[in-house]
Amino acid sequence: MADQRILFTKSGTAQYISHLDLMHTMERAFLRAGITIRHTAGFHPHPYVSIPLPLPLGFSSDCEIMEFGLVDGATMETLPQQMTDALPAGIKVLQCYEGGQAFKKLSYVRYDITLEFDAPMAPQAAEAFLALLKRESFVVRKRSKKAKSGFTEVDVIPLVEAVEEVRADGTFLYLTLLLKAQNPGLNPDVLLQGFKAEHPEFPVVYSHCHRREILDDRKKTYR
Amino acid sequence: MDHKLEKILARVQKPGRYVGGEYKAVQKDKAEVDCRFAFCFPDTYEIGMSNLGMRILYGVMNKMPGVWCERVFAPWGDMEDEMRKEGLPLYALESGDPIKDFDIIGFSLGYEMAYTNVLNMLDLADLPLRSADRPGITPLVVAGGTSTYNPEPLAPFVDVVCLGEGEDALPELTNLYRKAKRENWTKDQLLREASRLSGIYVPSLYEVTYGEDGIISAITPKDGAPEKVTKRLVTDMDRSYYPVETIVPSTEITHDRVMLELFRGCIRGCRFCQAGFVYRPVRNRSQELLVQQGIDACKASGYQEMTLLSLSSSDYPDLLPLCDGLLDYCRPNNVSISLPSLRADNFSMELMEKLQAGGRKSGLTFAPEAGSQRLRDAINKNVTEEDLLNTCRTAFAGGWSSVKLYFMLGLPTETDEDVLGIADLATKVYHVWRNNTPNRSRGVRITVSTSCFVPKSHTPFQWEAQNTMEEYMRKVTLLRDNMRNKSITYNWHDPDTSFLEACLSRGDRRLADVIETAWKNGAKFDSWSEYFNFQTWMDAFQTNGLDPAFYANRERGKEEILPWKVISDGVKDSYLWKERKAAYQGVITPDCWEKCSGCGANKLCEGGVCHG
Ligand code: SF4
Ligand code: SF4
Repeated sequence: MADQRILFTKSGTAQYISHLDLMHTMERAFLRAGITIRHTAGFHPHPYVSIPLPLPLGFSSDCEIMEFGLVDGATMETLPQQMTDALPAGIKVLQCYEGGQAFKKLSYVRYDITLEFDAPMAPQAAEAFLALLKRESFVVRKRSKKAKSGFTEVDVIPLVEAVEEVRADGTFLYLTLLLKAQNPGLNPDVLLQGFKAEHPEFPVVYSHCHRREILDDRKKTYR
Repeated sequence: MDHKLEKILARVQKPGRYVGGEYKAVQKDKAEVDCRFAFCFPDTYEIGMSNLGMRILYGVMNKMPGVWCERVFAPWGDMEDEMRKEGLPLYALESGDPIKDFDIIGFSLGYEMAYTNVLNMLDLADLPLRSADRPGITPLVVAGGTSTYNPEPLAPFVDVVCLGEGEDALPELTNLYRKAKRENWTKDQLLREASRLSGIYVPSLYEVTYGEDGIISAITPKDGAPEKVTKRLVTDMDRSYYPVETIVPSTEITHDRVMLELFRGCIRGCRFCQAGFVYRPVRNRSQELLVQQGIDACKASGYQEMTLLSLSSSDYPDLLPLCDGLLDYCRPNNVSISLPSLRADNFSMELMEKLQAGGRKSGLTFAPEAGSQRLRDAINKNVTEEDLLNTCRTAFAGGWSSVKLYFMLGLPTETDEDVLGIADLATKVYHVWRNNTPNRSRGVRITVSTSCFVPKSHTPFQWEAQNTMEEYMRKVTLLRDNMRNKSITYNWHDPDTSFLEACLSRGDRRLADVIETAWKNGAKFDSWSEYFNFQTWMDAFQTNGLDPAFYANRERGKEEILPWKVISDGVKDSYLWKERKAAYQGVITPDCWEKCSGCGANKLCEGGVCHG
């Protein structure tokens, strides 16, 4: 039997739970809900839970996925409510279903991005932002734990699949972007870092990223 | 969430600790709440959430209809800077509301080094620091916890001190406050009435005068305030509240596990130990109930680690059946059990083996406190060298290869011979390892740590002078020079924190000015090396014309009026003095189960008898 998955949202205070802490939280929530899950084989068996695309700290999401294996008893119909009741505020389990589609098929993420400026300059900032994305190449320096210098360079252009919506409203700029999910994928924060470095004349006082949807290689909803 | 807060959170370390929303955090409907209670812990979220006392009181207070108790912790420096910059006042985690508008603000004070954080939190809340500058009854600032057995250094800042265990006293005080609010009492009226409640000390109702020598000449109660305020305590642990269902943080905290409370108090009476006296008498929870609570707490939290918490857990009378009962559940469910505060005897060792069967052999920790038998007798630390070495023998033969030994330097009656006794003991432990280990090539790690003894109120050593910092360092050097073995590592704590702790723990209310000056000059999080600045404190003493040595290094006379004279933990002063004399004679006092030595704490129990 294949493993099961849940689809869940992460918002509000739960945005500040890191990926690692979320894994612990999930393991404990299964125990609190009295749901037994499969353990890994090996010398130090531990409960198997896997999240294909970790959500960066501070992001919210409507479409997080986690895989695990149900061992006897638990039914998929009641699991979402049982788990939601056992989880911290801001995490809601929407659905439990049989997994199967390979993680590597998860190809695109639709992000809603909010930028706030310290003056009503969003329309001009929007133009500057779009101009950046029209370039042949736009190389951004990003932090990297692997690189010796602590930084690597990445060209973001090939990783931005589409700009789907742009709305400027006074001090706020709202963008909906379709970004590559993995191998390699693009964290929208890297894009924002690039924008800020390139256009210091538009001072960003606040930014927020929200995952609206995850898509497979044919741009159909990924589950 | 408040947008200002959202902006800030993007810029600070570990934002998760500032937002609340954890599993089992209590939300209430404001329309049904008439009393908002801010439970403040003057340290980080990670430390505060690891405190069982806070979890108990959080549960007790939230069980009261109409009362909503929320949590507040001290923000770390980066967060504080951002809050001040954005003008975001200190808020409670559950509602996000500023605590300035709460009804009661309660501080839990476990250690003196958190005092500047109390001031900092009041200031961040946008409240005047001093009780006298807060004319209304709202908010009422309350303090409780172990370090309030001498509340004097904080006297001008807090309105009311809750002495001892708060399970009963805090709801009583809260109900009095609600009555005062309904009936529009003045603050004077409320404070006067509060002082009539058992276990409640109102500092402003006592006038303290000093002689030319700086020593207190009189403490005079006003407005009918009592001459003595005696701590409150829970007499029946089986009927007292235990938080089976409690908040499970979503981020990692310091003690991230189920904390099962076996008993309160301690039978031992080590003469340096404040906890051993102020929590008297010992009160056990029954073994059956503990097994049930332990299992239920694991199920309710999802924790897979449990610790058997108490001052001296291996003294619990039914420890074996308790562990067996817990293991029946814990083994098949992969829950590990740990036993802190291990005694150096073979019984404890066997138990430890049993609990950790199959698990990793982590290090062993013992606290003989003093190096020689003579000094251990003087401080009534009932550990013999033979016990310690036997335990180590069993441990080393069983494959353990690391031992930590904790000692204090500067204990009353200590001579250089006693100091060298530490080196001697550590070397003996090393030889025991050599002769018993199944695998010499793996080596052994013996770690010796010393700290500078801090005399505390309500102990037989409350009259003692602390060693000067120079004297402590001389002893450290002596020990270091005489303990050269590459398997023995020696760590010593700097004496400056201990020196300051000695000032604050036996200080009078004049120290309030010193604390305020130090805080104004940047002191906060004084228990954290990242922040602690000794010079700031010494300057603050000087600015206020006070000599820290007067508090730390001066021996008090038997007849001297001590700053905490009004505060009673139930133990008689005459008993403490008798114990002090016994220390100088090297006479040990039997533990409470072997023979009651008549300390006076039995009067706190129903029927006037300590049951244990
Ligand atoms: S055993 Fe001694 S040091 Fe430990 S808590 Fe009891 S009295 Fe204090
Ligand atoms: S009255 Fe006796 S038994 Fe009770 S705490 Fe004091 S010494 Fe121990």
